[in-house]
Amino acid sequence: MSNDKITILYLDDEEHNLTSFKAAYRRDYQIFTTTSANEAVQILSENTIHVVISDQKMPNLSGVEFFELIIPDFPDPVRMLLTGYADIEAVIDAINKGQVFRYVAKPWNETDLKITIDNAYELYNNRVRLREQNEEIKKAYNELEKFVYSASHDLRAPLVSILGVLKLARMENIEGNSGEYFGMIERTVNQLDGFVQNIISYYQNLKKGEILTSIKCASLIDEIFEHFKFYEGADNVQFIKNVSQEGEIMLDEMRLKMILNNLISNSVKYRDQSKDESLVQITVNASEKELVLSVKDNGLGITREDQIKVFEMFYRSSEQSLGSGIGLFIVKEAVEKMGGKISVTSEIGEGACFEVVLPNRI
Amino acid sequence: MNQKELNIFLIDDNDIDIVVNTKLLKLANLTSRIRSFSNGTDALNYISSNVEELNQYQNVILLDIQMPVYNGFEIFDKFMELSVEIRQQCKVFMLSSSIDRNDIKKAEENEEIIKVLEKPLDVYLLKRLVSV
Repeated sequence: MSNDKITILYLDDEEHNLTSFKAAYRRDYQIFTTTSANEAVQILSENTIHVVISDQKMPNLSGVEFFELIIPDFPDPVRMLLTGYADIEAVIDAINKGQVFRYVAKPWNETDLKITIDNAYELYNNRVRLREQNEEIKKAYNELEKFVYSASHDLRAPLVSILGVLKLARMENIEGNSGEYFGMIERTVNQLDGFVQNIISYYQNLKKGEILTSIKCASLIDEIFEHFKFYEGADNVQFIKNVSQEGEIMLDEMRLKMILNNLISNSVKYRDQSKDESLVQITVNASEKELVLSVKDNGLGITREDQIKVFEMFYRSSEQSLGSGIGLFIVKEAVEKMGGKISVTSEIGEGACFEVVLPNRI
Repeated sequence: MNQKELNIFLIDDNDIDIVVNTKLLKLANLTSRIRSFSNGTDALNYISSNVEELNQYQNVILLDIQMPVYNGFEIFDKFMELSVEIRQQCKVFMLSSSIDRNDIKKAEENEEIIKVLEKPLDVYLLKRLVSV
């Protein structure tokens, strides 16, 4: 079964070396030998070669030069350099330019060289396997992306249709009991929609790329506050904005909004309804170096224990928890993608404060 | 300036969204002239064979992005092949239920698309955008 044998290409200008190599290893390997570099390239393109061995000292082309020549087109075969004497320059070149696996001294020891060839073959296999696995991962990743795009649309589209009908019902002035029922439906649909949107943002965040834009902090916060006007419970909350921005700030706006939306919605959700007034205070200090933002509320607060766990995926702190446990996980992921840090301080009954530091990418 | 009456072409494969958006537009008193199409090809055929109608009104095309056969962007490309005379008379908005970053980017890169609008339609936002 010659097909299962390790295939070796051996290039050497001295014919008798080729002959003795063949004599020694013919039974163990499938061997191609040649004295010409051109023919060697020809052999590489016509056969699957696992290990390439070349003599260093040859009249037209050195072994290292030959390796440099073949690396772009044939990166997989593992390269080994044979030489009668080792000068340090040649060794350095062999490693850096020829990217050789081993440097073998002539005359070779038959047993040692066999072990070296077998090791080289193992490296070859690992390389090929790794590349195949990488391709599989890439493919799975692309499929995941397509899946998320279509799933996010197919999940959201019907929800949006329901919300549209509810909006219409409200504009047509539904009165009495049915009005109340419609409100319940709307709340539930919004909850589900929030979850779907979070999942979508999670996958959007997974993508590596950042789209940097110049951020106008004050108007960004205004825009977000505007959006929260219609958020459930927001009419009982006083939003306070404290922004100072010096110079230009370059950040990924989508991720920044994702962070702010999640933190603010938590502050609204977990407000302390026994207090006369609920506050959500956003402070932004943006400088040439970084953007520091904090979202502080006077809500229910988070226990010491939970402060560590809140950023875990699907962690929910209480049975009454309204969320799905994904919001803060996404926030943390987004902060990390932006190269920043997030921390929380809180006292039960006093409120919570999340602080995020994001480096300015200008 | 005497503004011409709005003439809206609603292109969406989802019949519930067509009903909802048609009613929302009417309730907000934007116009009573709303034509709906369940696919882009029919809509473009109608538009290109009724140029006289276009001349009398301020025309707005609301084009859903996620549709079978030809999606909104593909229909938009076909719209761009129509004559300048027709194109200049129509303001095109894209509609989407999933505000996808790539979709928004694609639309922003195209000067002829005014905006991607999120569903359910914010009719008052549309009113502001078309009155500019």
